[in-house]
Amino acid sequence: MTSLPPVDFLALSGALLAIGIFGILTRRNFILLLISVEIAINAAILNFVVFGAYAGTPAGVSGQAAAIVLIGLAATEVAVGLAIVLALNRARGSINVAEATQLKL
Amino acid sequence: MFPLAVLVPLAPALAFIVIGLGGERLKRLESGGWIAVAAAFVALAVSLLVAWAELATPGHFSDSSYTWLSIRTTAAPFPSGLSLVMGVLVDPISALMLIVVNVVGAMVMLYSIGYMHHDKGLPRYYAELSLFLTAMNGLVLSDNLLEFFLFWELVGVCSYFLIGFYYERPSAASAAKEAFLVTRVGDVLFLLGIFIYFATFATSGGGAGWAASGFKFASGSVPFLPPHASTPLLTVAGLMMLAGAAGKSAQFPLDVWLPDAMEGPTTVSALIHAATMVAAGVYLLVVVSVFIGFTPDDQLAIVAVGGFTTFWAATMAVVQTDIKRVVAFSTVSQLGYMVLAVGAGFSMVGLYHLFTHAFFKALLFLAAGSVIHAVGTQDLLKMGGLKKQMPVTRWAFIIGGLSLAGFPLFSGFFSKDDILGSVVTAAQSHPMYWPFVALAFAGTFLTGYYIFRAYFLAFEGDQPRDSSLPHAHEGPWVMQLPLIVLSGLALLAGYLIFSPAFDSLFIQIPGTALHLPPTYGTFDLELSALSVALGLSGIGVAYALWGNGRVFTWAADSPVQPLRTLLLQRYYVKHGVDWLGRRVIYTGARAADFVERFIIDGTIHGFERSFAALSDRMRRVQTGVVSDYAAYVVAGVVGLLVLLMYLAPWIVAALGGS
Repeated sequence: MTSLPPVDFLALSGALLAIGIFGILTRRNFILLLISVEIAINAAILNFVVFGAYAGTPAGVSGQAAAIVLIGLAATEVAVGLAIVLALNRARGSINVAEATQLKL
Repeated sequence: MFPLAVLVPLAPALAFIVIGLGGERLKRLESGGWIAVAAAFVALAVSLLVAWAELATPGHFSDSSYTWLSIRTTAAPFPSGLSLVMGVLVDPISALMLIVVNVVGAMVMLYSIGYMHHDKGLPRYYAELSLFLTAMNGLVLSDNLLEFFLFWELVGVCSYFLIGFYYERPSAASAAKEAFLVTRVGDVLFLLGIFIYFATFATSGGGAGWAASGFKFASGSVPFLPPHASTPLLTVAGLMMLAGAAGKSAQFPLDVWLPDAMEGPTTVSALIHAATMVAAGVYLLVVVSVFIGFTPDDQLAIVAVGGFTTFWAATMAVVQTDIKRVVAFSTVSQLGYMVLAVGAGFSMVGLYHLFTHAFFKALLFLAAGSVIHAVGTQDLLKMGGLKKQMPVTRWAFIIGGLSLAGFPLFSGFFSKDDILGSVVTAAQSHPMYWPFVALAFAGTFLTGYYIFRAYFLAFEGDQPRDSSLPHAHEGPWVMQLPLIVLSGLALLAGYLIFSPAFDSLFIQIPGTALHLPPTYGTFDLELSALSVALGLSGIGVAYALWGNGRVFTWAADSPVQPLRTLLLQRYYVKHGVDWLGRRVIYTGARAADFVERFIIDGTIHGFERSFAALSDRMRRVQTGVVSDYAAYVVAGVVGLLVLLMYLAPWIVAALGGS
């Protein structure tokens, strides 16, 4: 694990973040939007893990601990997001984000 | 302690309330008229009692007041605090005024029963007249400048109501408005003068005590003006007092309203515009000169205004064809005599003329009213021959006229010659007074002329010039009795100067530092002979031109005609003021309006519109498209990160360089 320089893993994390943000900005399907958010969150979690591993024990344990907590948080957030999708579907009959333009004056 | 004098304004006030509320239901009591008469006579009785008590004890005055607002402060300009009081001051001056106001008031009130019998709106008339009596009595009895001003304004309001009594006539409504507005000019300046007195006296040594005691006239702590002290501010204050008096007493240039005020009923003219309200201005000057003092510059200004007005008004009186207007201009002219006397330093002599003038001027007005009531017109050129049909009125008019002209042994003779003698004495030490003294003497000639011109036109001859006039006969007893009483007073009031009661006017009141004028003024036999001669020659010229039913007219192409026109148009003063208003003031108003609406308001509206446009632009950020909002979030986060990257060195240093 420590044979590869950490920058490789961080590059992977950055690429994942980019993919996630691209998805957030461009996806029209709400569920795909949520998947993109999930990807971005996982990029951040990967960051924590990488830095935890390269810090060595005992400090590096907190990286793993953070990863567990954050995965739980992500799950929570997805739960809320899916609830919104359900409500939106019930209200409009579609989950096309481009059609939900009422949040304005 | 309840001073008896409070009853004097209180009685007519109660009449005002009763008549105002229920006058229509009192048809049997002449729509409240007899209530008003009763109140006026109660006021008269009490005031005679109070005045007698006051004048009989020289060197004494009584002052009772109620502090209705007291501010404890040490801030300038009232370092000893400020008190506002309502009080009653009975001193020899106010005692004399009480007699004047209430005698004439009661007589006019009684006369009105007969004169106004056929008019509509009588409850309004009697209520307003009673309110006027209240206000005038309150003014006379007030013991401090603020209270004086309050009643001064109230008197002006009543004058407005009563001049505009026949409000359906546009000329009457306009005259009422004119009277109020012109006197308002004086009143504003008067108020400014009060403020100047407050400010300068309160900050000078000892003046703070005056403020703390409520600016009372007879307070021991008024910082009186030493005889020759003259500061610019106090001179201005004195001029403001003159302005206020000029407004109320119709002195030049604020005299335009009084002849027009003849639109009101003749009784109103008799009470308000002959004997009382117009006297308030002179009373103010007397009070200020005695209790506060005028600077020498002020005195010159007062002499100038008074002397000039005397002549100015007399010239206009000689061409009038309306009997009431002749007497109105005469009032303005005689007030000029009083103002002249006060300015020359002989305020008690001026007050004395006020006293006698009130009686004979009210007499002249009521006699004129009697004539108008009998023949239904005010035009002298239509009248004639009334001496046979109206003997009481005729003799009343003669007595009033002789008194006015200063015929020996009538009351006007004593007071007017006293003034003339006194101002000649004053002019000997103040040569600047001479032109105005000369004008006053010239006025004496014109006075004799114009009043007897009016008499001859109305009463002499065999029959009326206008044959369509109804047959004239005397009015009812309620109209004749006041004429008789006032005739008696016009004959005898002058002799009071020989009674010890008048000594009270000239005795120092202990505890106050009054500016008492020298004695009775000078009564010079030679000057008196001159003025009597002038008056008699005026009467003689009037007889030559108008006696025995003659009517003298100038030829149409006579060079005198332009002069006549000038006088009839009252020197075009009103035309001048109108021009000033239309050209100068209206143009200025239009310019100010332009600045206000387009420049000032335009700037504000410009701000409004730019803000509205800005917010409109900003509103478009909210597209409603979710991806856009997500993009904003991303952009914000990126921006924050970039910022943090740049600020990193400082953050690290702040955190202790770890």
